[in-house]
Amino acid sequence: MSEDLRLDNVQGNILRGYRSNLCHVRHLILEVTERSSARRFLGAAVSGGTAEVPRITCATGWGTLKPETCFNIGITFAGMRALGTPEAMLATFPTEYVEGMAKRALKLGDFGDSAPAYWSAPFDRTDRVHLIATAYAQQPGQLDQIKAEVAKAFHVIDFRDGRTRNDANVLGPAFRGDGSPNNRSFFGHADGISQPRFKIDGYPDINSSQPTSPLGTVLLGHDTPLEGIRFRVPMSEELGKDGSFNAFRILAQDCWAFENYLTKAADALLELERVKGPQVLPAGGEKAIRPGLSRVGALREVVAAQMCGRWRNGTPVDTSPFHPLSTDDLTSATLNDFTYSGETTCPAGAHIRRVNPRDGKIVQRAANHTRRLVRRSMPYGPDFDAANPDDAPRGLLGNFIGASIGAQFEAVMCDWLNLGLHDPSITRRNDPLIGANTPETSVFDLRLIDGTPYRLRGFPRFVTTKGGAYTFLPSLRAIRFLAELPN
Amino acid sequence: MADEEGWLGRFVDNLPEQGWFKFLSNHFVVPYWVWREPKAKLPGGPRMAVQPGENLQRMMNLVMPLKDRSPIGRAKATLALGQSVDTLYAGLDNVGTIHFARFVIIENNLCMMSVYDGDFDSYVRDFIVSIGNVFDAVLVHVEGGDAVIPTKQNVEKFVDWIHDHDLFQMPDFATDLFDLQDEAQNLAANRAPHDLSSLSRALVLQLHANPNFALGSGFRSYAGYSAAQIRSTFGMGW
Repeated sequence: MSEDLRLDNVQGNILRGYRSNLCHVRHLILEVTERSSARRFLGAAVSGGTAEVPRITCATGWGTLKPETCFNIGITFAGMRALGTPEAMLATFPTEYVEGMAKRALKLGDFGDSAPAYWSAPFDRTDRVHLIATAYAQQPGQLDQIKAEVAKAFHVIDFRDGRTRNDANVLGPAFRGDGSPNNRSFFGHADGISQPRFKIDGYPDINSSQPTSPLGTVLLGHDTPLEGIRFRVPMSEELGKDGSFNAFRILAQDCWAFENYLTKAADALLELERVKGPQVLPAGGEKAIRPGLSRVGALREVVAAQMCGRWRNGTPVDTSPFHPLSTDDLTSATLNDFTYSGETTCPAGAHIRRVNPRDGKIVQRAANHTRRLVRRSMPYGPDFDAANPDDAPRGLLGNFIGASIGAQFEAVMCDWLNLGLHDPSITRRNDPLIGANTPETSVFDLRLIDGTPYRLRGFPRFVTTKGGAYTFLPSLRAIRFLAELPN
Repeated sequence: MADEEGWLGRFVDNLPEQGWFKFLSNHFVVPYWVWREPKAKLPGGPRMAVQPGENLQRMMNLVMPLKDRSPIGRAKATLALGQSVDTLYAGLDNVGTIHFARFVIIENNLCMMSVYDGDFDSYVRDFIVSIGNVFDAVLVHVEGGDAVIPTKQNVEKFVDWIHDHDLFQMPDFATDLFDLQDEAQNLAANRAPHDLSSLSRALVLQLHANPNFALGSGFRSYAGYSAAQIRSTFGMGW
């Protein structure tokens, strides 16, 4: 652990997920309409809160007394300006943050239906989005209370609710064998498994074989994963230190299109089997996937698993290419204890291998482990039942946190997720699950039993961006500074 | 049809070649429009494209004015680079997304031209990690270079600096220039539709803001492939 890390100066959601005990989240999208009341609120929130102002949660260990609610804030560049941050300080922020997410759309694959021109309110007016405050709670009612408190100091333009899920599309129980929560995305995949591993006193160390990441991966003013490089600390060295940046994204998922495509691909694989015998799943392999599953049903699961790089319950395809592990065998360690250094059964184009190539061979030789992101995400929208499909809005409220949006989030989105630049066998192809695909050009190479590729085509874009913003996650000290700015 | 072009049409068409008109344009008309409709200097380098193939084999044309423009000064810049050739090759290998990089001195400028794949910022960042010291050695000799060295401690500044010194690339579809100019002024694209006949004025004004200019994004004789794709196809390893 870095010697000069003060946990009480770091916002809690950067270093720790809360949902092991707080399964409801609300993102409040705020506009500063009255600078003085906004500052008063921040001053109270950072000083432990009051009866009418929620307390900013810091990263200090909880011990046995877990809080009932947590509260954290992110500030957009427009928000920093609205709060009256001096121009000389504003000039020290990185360009991608200053420009904001909408201006970086092409780099992020936000075009076509995902283009900012089609983002839903309030993200159609990015100049008004000043803060994104996030409340976490055990009960939805607590979120209403926090919202009412925040509304006294800010104009709450809009809010977005997320929650952990337990609906019909989820395979398996709500908790894994080791008791960790079994969070699922709407495509049914366990989500939020792999996180950068930090060595911090008092924090559990869960990822057994993955290398630790330096704190500068996620906190400004500390050593970064890029050798010899420190990211510029904005505001001033003192104030910016221990802050971070976040890419907040509203990502709509088209469950129906995804499930439909699985069936289409499985039908094609079944046809192939009739001619050539089992290609992608050994004969009788369906039983190991789930008792009672049909052959087509099993092939659907294989396609879903290879596209993601994990079976829907989280089992890495690299560890177990033909069936998921039983829930009892799933722990945070087994879910994450694998590498791509040797021969791997995980397709190069699979989602999790693109966004985190681990120690696998990549074109940008110096870049392994350097673009890690802390992810704090929760699904939004009603349960999805594949047997009775509807098209209600649902998807993921994503937070992608890192000390440099440009060197981490954007670099992953642009070069790896969508362009596939890190491996010549997937270059010019997009991520099959969340990439900017069109049926006319989309390609994904499944890995057959004998190791040869089988090309799937014609899948649409399953995930559409509906809005988002780049925010700065100031340290508690920086929040205090903002609260005390002279008028 | 030819009859329809009367004397007035011929006169107007001929105007740009008339000495008095050129004088008038350069000394009054252009300055007037620069005052009335100033254009921001547009950032250099290729812009991200929707088609993945367009994001491969992209061009960088970095033009850096030399501090010392004498033959001795140019020789110093040449030597700074010449001493780093081995490191440079190692860097190309490590970064992995570069097809080639050329350094040329044109008049008073040291120019770095390269063809690379993908996101420019990541390319530069990887380059700094690998061979930041080569950049440092060269930047000592160019104007404004001192502000961004050592590059390893000024990554963000250096990336911005390059965007500023890389040549603006005229869009391949000329009318896209309107959109870029609108965007630079935070205006919605084509909200007040641009008259096509004002394109040449827009171009002149942009050339006023960006005196150095790349004509288009570079022309390729084949579809874009990554350096690693080419290496792997020809069995060179990647």
